[in-house]
Amino acid sequence: MNLERLPNEEKLTLCRKYYLGGFALLPFLWLVNVVWFFKEAFMKPPFTEQTLIKTYVKRSALGLLFWVTVLTTWITIYQHFRAQWGEVGDYLSFTIPLGTP
Amino acid sequence: MMKLKNGSGRVAGVAVVEPTSNPPDGFSPHTRCPNENTGVYSENYGPGLAHCNTTKWNPLGNGLSYEEFDFPIFSMKDDNDTQLIRQCYMDHNRPVNGSHPQYPLCAMQLSSHMSAVTNTPTCMRRNSISFSMSNDMVCDPLSDQNIWAPSKPLNTTQNGHKADESVIIVSARLDSRSFFSEIGPGAESAASGLITLLAAAHALRNATQDAQLDRTIFYTFFHGETFDYIGSSKMVYDMEKNQFPIDLDNVHSVLEIGQVGFYSSSNLWLHTDPISMRNSSIQKEVKNLIDNLNSAAEGLNVSVKEPDVTQPLPPSSFQRFLRARPFPGVVIEDYNSSFSNKYFQSMFDNADSLNVLYPPNLTPAEQLNHVTDTAKSLAEVATMVARALFLQAGGKKTQISSIKADELTVSRMLYSFLISSNNSWTQEIVAPKDIVHLNNNTVNFYISVEQQASLPTILAKYLLANLTGSVVNVTQENCRNQKESEDDKESKHLYNYIWVQGAALPNSTERDGFCVRSTVHWSRAISPAFELENYTTSEYSTWTESRWKEIKGRIFLVASHDLEMLTLGVGIGVLLSSLLLTYIMSSKADILFSSGREPTSATY
Repeated sequence: MNLERLPNEEKLTLCRKYYLGGFALLPFLWLVNVVWFFKEAFMKPPFTEQTLIKTYVKRSALGLLFWVTVLTTWITIYQHFRAQWGEVGDYLSFTIPLGTP
Repeated sequence: MMKLKNGSGRVAGVAVVEPTSNPPDGFSPHTRCPNENTGVYSENYGPGLAHCNTTKWNPLGNGLSYEEFDFPIFSMKDDNDTQLIRQCYMDHNRPVNGSHPQYPLCAMQLSSHMSAVTNTPTCMRRNSISFSMSNDMVCDPLSDQNIWAPSKPLNTTQNGHKADESVIIVSARLDSRSFFSEIGPGAESAASGLITLLAAAHALRNATQDAQLDRTIFYTFFHGETFDYIGSSKMVYDMEKNQFPIDLDNVHSVLEIGQVGFYSSSNLWLHTDPISMRNSSIQKEVKNLIDNLNSAAEGLNVSVKEPDVTQPLPPSSFQRFLRARPFPGVVIEDYNSSFSNKYFQSMFDNADSLNVLYPPNLTPAEQLNHVTDTAKSLAEVATMVARALFLQAGGKKTQISSIKADELTVSRMLYSFLISSNNSWTQEIVAPKDIVHLNNNTVNFYISVEQQASLPTILAKYLLANLTGSVVNVTQENCRNQKESEDDKESKHLYNYIWVQGAALPNSTERDGFCVRSTVHWSRAISPAFELENYTTSEYSTWTESRWKEIKGRIFLVASHDLEMLTLGVGIGVLLSSLLLTYIMSSKADILFSSGREPTSATY
């Protein structure tokens, strides 16, 4: 979708929809929000709706950062310690590799 | 091997070439004290005797079979393929004049991916996790079958205590192992006792049918004794839970035949358990049994002795019976305080180490019927055991001189187990459906898992049936349906009928089969731990075998590292230059591909 052709109010509604949607445990919506509206929020000459779009993009970026840290920490811990957790590790896993502990 | 294991971690695999002759100093990859944790001796029972405190049964043991190695270890026969590998090394990998060998070098790849890791509780848990979509089994418990036959027919479909039955259990083990799973000759550790018991059962066939004996003799062959007494623990468990045609109250005494192959160079030793003998009634019974053994040995070339120091029983199935309750029993071995077998549970425990030697220039058919010295001495031991059992079962001493083991049968059994299991004799006595399992090599005594039909079990089953049973005139169909005639409904509770292939008819490929009626039965030999689903128990064996992907190896030449990097660099260069070219061409597209037409506007 080409944002050039949209009027500014519609850009704002779109940004808000993606921002609110990300709260349903969907961090990828926030990622899309940040990448897509970055130029609109920070690089274009100011227009009326730009301040709101800026806040949405900043908050989306914050939420994205939070998710990235949480997921990275959990994945690192799991990959490192799954073998040592024995029974708990096996019950948490969907597929267990063959041939390695 | 230990140096390789603990080395720098640069060892990726080991290929071992099998030597053609046995090492003279002996070699045993088993532990010094076999089955020390699942026997009867522990902190509660004979604490001074536990863990081989008084005598080390297997002093040459280095425990190699029980070490964990991170790399695959393959064994190869010394034949043309191995020569090819040596030649490859000589041509490419040998340093010349002290300088490094040049690329291309000879490399070997060994694949033996094993699915199971860590230990038995882990792999059994992963077997049963049904959360993931693919339900691949990761490991299997070691299991096979125990073979048993009473000397007179018992109602085997009815389990539990049998009233007025007093049973003497005479047992031998059916299995062995070596460091490599496909090789397990087990000549002295398994075959010697097994063949002796089969020959003794054969010798007693007529005597037990003619005379009315007070006690029944129970010929038993336990499988899996190498791995913490799998077979004997299962049978004792079944007897305790009333899932076996007799129970422990029926058992009067136990006689076990251990390793007896080297008897001719030493004496036969009768081992007893000092702790249970403190009870005076047990001591009386044991003395009685030993007296019977001594009487049986009179007039034969056999000399039996008892050890003169207080020492525990050697590793034997009888220990599992003692764990249940005290029984009188004796274990017959050819050693006093440590094994005379220098190659216990190793790939060198073969016909050569047992001195089963044939004169050169004999055809296989002649070798089958040639009576070796080892066969003669095993036949003597079998005769002694048979006569002692007859006396123990209540027979009269005057009748024992007619009980004699047949040397020719013993020779044929030695040939079948140690040289080649596919010979004219075995082909006659085995049922048609099991003929395919016979091969031309020495029998592999490793127990393996349930899916594999184990050759020692098959041979023991048919040998016991043919040697203790009788040929009956029954049609093939009735024989297969376990009855003697159309209306017979009783025989299947007492007897087992097997239709065997029989001799080859002259000038024809057909065989003259016949029906053998015997009391041979078999029961599953799997550790009770797997029935109870308790995999952390220290009471029963918990051995499992991993499943694997394809096992293969190959050799090839590898190019030098510099050549590989060069190839990679050229490839990346081609990629980048083609990207550059494409970019240049697309940006100048209108100049290169102008044809006078207006470009159409793109719509989305």
